[in-house]
Amino acid sequence: MRTLKRLFQFISIYATALGLLWGVKIVYGFSDYLIPPPLEVLHVAGQNGLLYVKAVLDTLAVAIAGHMVAIVLATAVGLVGRLSTWPGNLTRTAAYNLQAYPIVAVAPIIFLFLGDGLASRLLIAAMICYFPLLLSFIGIFAKPVEEVEHFFRITGRINWRLELSIRTFENLDKITTVIVGSGTMALVGTIIAEFLAATNGIGYIIRKALYQSNLAKILVALFLIGLCSSLYLSLIETIGGRIKIRLYGHKAEYMIFCLPFVWHLLEAQVHTAVF
Amino acid sequence: MHIACRNLHYTYPGADSPVFSNLDWSIEGPGFFALFGLSGTGKSTLARLISGELSPMQGDIDIPNARRVLYTHNAERIPGWNTVGAHLRSVTPASKTSLLTTILKDYGMEVHLESRFSGLSMGQKNRINLARYLVQEFDLLIADEVLANVDEPTRNHILERLKILFPQKTFIYISHNALEVARFSQTIHVLPHGSTAGTNKIHKITGLDRQEGMKTTPEELVQERVYAILRSAASTSEPRP
Repeated sequence: MRTLKRLFQFISIYATALGLLWGVKIVYGFSDYLIPPPLEVLHVAGQNGLLYVKAVLDTLAVAIAGHMVAIVLATAVGLVGRLSTWPGNLTRTAAYNLQAYPIVAVAPIIFLFLGDGLASRLLIAAMICYFPLLLSFIGIFAKPVEEVEHFFRITGRINWRLELSIRTFENLDKITTVIVGSGTMALVGTIIAEFLAATNGIGYIIRKALYQSNLAKILVALFLIGLCSSLYLSLIETIGGRIKIRLYGHKAEYMIFCLPFVWHLLEAQVHTAVF
Repeated sequence: MHIACRNLHYTYPGADSPVFSNLDWSIEGPGFFALFGLSGTGKSTLARLISGELSPMQGDIDIPNARRVLYTHNAERIPGWNTVGAHLRSVTPASKTSLLTTILKDYGMEVHLESRFSGLSMGQKNRINLARYLVQEFDLLIADEVLANVDEPTRNHILERLKILFPQKTFIYISHNALEVARFSQTIHVLPHGSTAGTNKIHKITGLDRQEGMKTTPEELVQERVYAILRSAASTSEPRP
């Protein structure tokens, strides 16, 4: 349902934008060379559809991989950044200062060192969504949930795993939103990387179409990007929703994201079994 | 158990005026004591100072022979990923399992063990939170408005049962209910109306210390204590020498 809603929203926006574009063409009498007619767009889609679908799936795969790398890295660094000791302070200061620098600006250096292959695209995708994730994770992991943590603190039961579990659980909505938002950024980062220097992916195809001044190709590529982006984001939202239902509703197998909770459930089971 | 505060000073960081200034106060346990006062007079601050959650800026708080001081308040929640029963089992020491069963039965909560905390009423949440503290090792438990949302008959029953189940423990019960503290406390420690110079005196009023099965106290006597408590709470701190 969520997926259908997202797809419907995207197709509505895309159709409206196309309608406006063709409206402007008619009003100002622009040529077919500048703004292609609907039939030409359909013709390009039929002719290059398969190639473009492969390219956009390639881009999506790199974006997802980069996104996953960024999530794992942001979680690991966020755990250090939540500490009130010097490594935590250093991590927070570094994160706040580095995130102010536009990653796209260093993309050419990445291409210089790593070439125009997969590694560069992956790194740029990961870096673009890494800092927003890191800042959110540091904020979430460092802020105590006093109403829940108080009991464990005053009875001497608190430890970092429990603290992390409580803070993650209490901020699950926020975390899902941040991950969904950073998913879009990962896709944008990958496309920008391909647009700049790569030799694969939908960004590369758009770059070629731009050199040919072929708007029809760009419109088809944009449609496929939007389609894939909607599907990916709704997939993340669905996973977030499922996790919430399971955590609020049943004891069940959780995903890697929920490992701390599994740990505590296991501890509780062992405690019950022993005593 | 003896709790003594000497020359206690405390000001919250960034606040203009102190909460406590030159405060001397003591309690001689075990027993059930109340801390009463209008909002903002420093009851919870004093509780957090005694439990060690806050540190006094000047002065001492001595609690010799107290291995464990616990402080609980009514805004506490249990982690949402567990049922109430699973959480209680995981935080109850093996030696207190039967005590937990007794308390849950007393509080009428044994039917809610498979529920999530978020699915309980406010009064039920209060009772579950208190139950998990009562099964911990403690010498002094400071209970800050912990039964605020519980109906009166149940609250009275809980307080009576506390005295039977824990005769050797010390309780400091923070409440805004003058009638309740008058009936159940051994002594009511009343924080006077706050002054900009900070509270420097806590008044002590003898309570009626009602026990389970005791004959009903005459209403006039209860009313007299309630008026004394309210008068004391409305008074201001002692003038500075």
